[in-house]
Amino acid sequence: MQLKRRSFFKLAAVGAVTAVTTPCTVKAWESKAPQDSYGCLVDISRCIGCRKCEQACNAVNELPTAARSFDDLTVLDEKRRPDATKFTVVNRYNTGRIDDKGLLVADFVKVQCMHCQDPACVSACITGAMSKHSNGAVHYDASKCIGCRCCMVACPFEIPAYEYHNPITPKVMKCTFCETLQREQNKPPACATICPTEAITFGKRNTLLNLAKKRLHDNPGRYVKHIYGEKEVGGTSWLYLSKVPFAKLGFIKLPFNPLPRLTETLQHSLFSYLWSPALLFTLLGGVMYRSHKKQSAHQPDNTQQPGGAL
Amino acid sequence: MKRQLFRFRAVIMLVVLFLLPSLSMAQNSDTSRTLFSQDLARLRAQEVVPMVDKVKVEGPIRRSQRLHATELSIKDAKTTYFLLDSPIIKAQEDHYAPVRFNHGQHAASSGDCSVCHHLRPVDNSSYSNHPETVRCSACHQQSFHPDYPERLGLKAAYHQNCIPCHKKQNAGPLTCRGCHLNNVPEHKQLVKLPEKPDPLQVTAECLRCHEDDANDLLHTAHWRWRGASLYTQDQSRQVDHGKGTTALNND
Repeated sequence: MQLKRRSFFKLAAVGAVTAVTTPCTVKAWESKAPQDSYGCLVDISRCIGCRKCEQACNAVNELPTAARSFDDLTVLDEKRRPDATKFTVVNRYNTGRIDDKGLLVADFVKVQCMHCQDPACVSACITGAMSKHSNGAVHYDASKCIGCRCCMVACPFEIPAYEYHNPITPKVMKCTFCETLQREQNKPPACATICPTEAITFGKRNTLLNLAKKRLHDNPGRYVKHIYGEKEVGGTSWLYLSKVPFAKLGFIKLPFNPLPRLTETLQHSLFSYLWSPALLFTLLGGVMYRSHKKQSAHQPDNTQQPGGAL
Repeated sequence: MKRQLFRFRAVIMLVVLFLLPSLSMAQNSDTSRTLFSQDLARLRAQEVVPMVDKVKVEGPIRRSQRLHATELSIKDAKTTYFLLDSPIIKAQEDHYAPVRFNHGQHAASSGDCSVCHHLRPVDNSSYSNHPETVRCSACHQQSFHPDYPERLGLKAAYHQNCIPCHKKQNAGPLTCRGCHLNNVPEHKQLVKLPEKPDPLQVTAECLRCHEDDANDLLHTAHWRWRGASLYTQDQSRQVDHGKGTTALNND
């Protein structure tokens, strides 16, 4: 059968219509965020920068002994990030805020895994080593991990760290939300328990959101009117309240859409029933067939021409 | 007559029985009073009162005015010394020795009960004695109580009340160590000494763990006293009165 110019266009039109209609038949992306999960509300205005949370985290998760004591507050002189040896760090920011005596007042920001409601790391993980639990924790299962580190690339907060120093059995390291403590002893995360000023409040995420809104309402002027983590990347289990704008405290501005929504929608619509590769190869096949036919039609001339010239 | 004499003797004996302890207390009144208040404070610290359900919400100025109107004053603060060592906090963690809190001193320097007693229970009945000035742990107990999410736990209530005020007044301890001494572990198991040890053995055993502290001491005036001892009778010109020289007989 010969593919005429007209029939080729027909075929291409059918392909185009399929391309337009197929994504509509794919189910719209749905959030898998747990409804009744736990979370923590960090009130930055309450934090006194004592680093007890770091100490408790280190002890509970049996992390390596820190090079400098947790009582040493000069550690706060430089900005740090959580890494393979520490799941949480406190950073100090001088934003120019002064107290009634005219003295500079620092703000202290605790950094750890935010335990997103729709985590990008879970979506990016190709083996299911990362999973979102119903209690709110983003759980890492080392036995399923192949060490591809896609989670590290995917995380908008740049939290997961890798044990590069351990070549045989390296693990991805990040805050565990003290799931074992919660499950076995019915206790809040160690950092929340030890916090002397309750800068970290542990509870159901919905309760905490209401509590945060109540604090904003009851203390006008004390906080900036924003609950960081309420909507960022579709919501996170850890929520923050602050006196100074979050941009000044090292918080990055993030979209309110869950990050997996775009990537998963793209992937699921492009690859459902393998229609897009099928269409691509059909089109390519058509183009090939046509050009081949064209070539073979002109071939006698092409082969004869040199001969004729001779 | 005999019966009367018996009665008289009994009364005398009773009087003596009651007077004796007070007499002996009067003799060394200072030590016995401190012991007494320390024991009382220790007992009191162990008490857990039922949690206040609802608090009367009013602004700080209104509350202060109302307390003044009730003629409640510092003179009504009967207990002057507390130990902050609640089982509510100990159920969660036990890192520090009890904090010694001088209630009388704080009441006198602030002059206003409402600074710390910032709210009161709605219900009078369960706290009929002092409903206006219930203890901290009446309202603040367990942290993250699911039924009272906005209420601070006892530990946070202390810290959120104490720290900003100490900073603002620039008075009292301003560091963690100022209020909190570390829990000292029981040394009976830690110390390993032979029967009837000599002084050098004891010092060596102390140094086994406390070497850093010993080195620190070597750089203080306690160890290397080099000045005149003005107030030491007959030896005012003596310049070597440190522990490293004449005051200690270890070497």
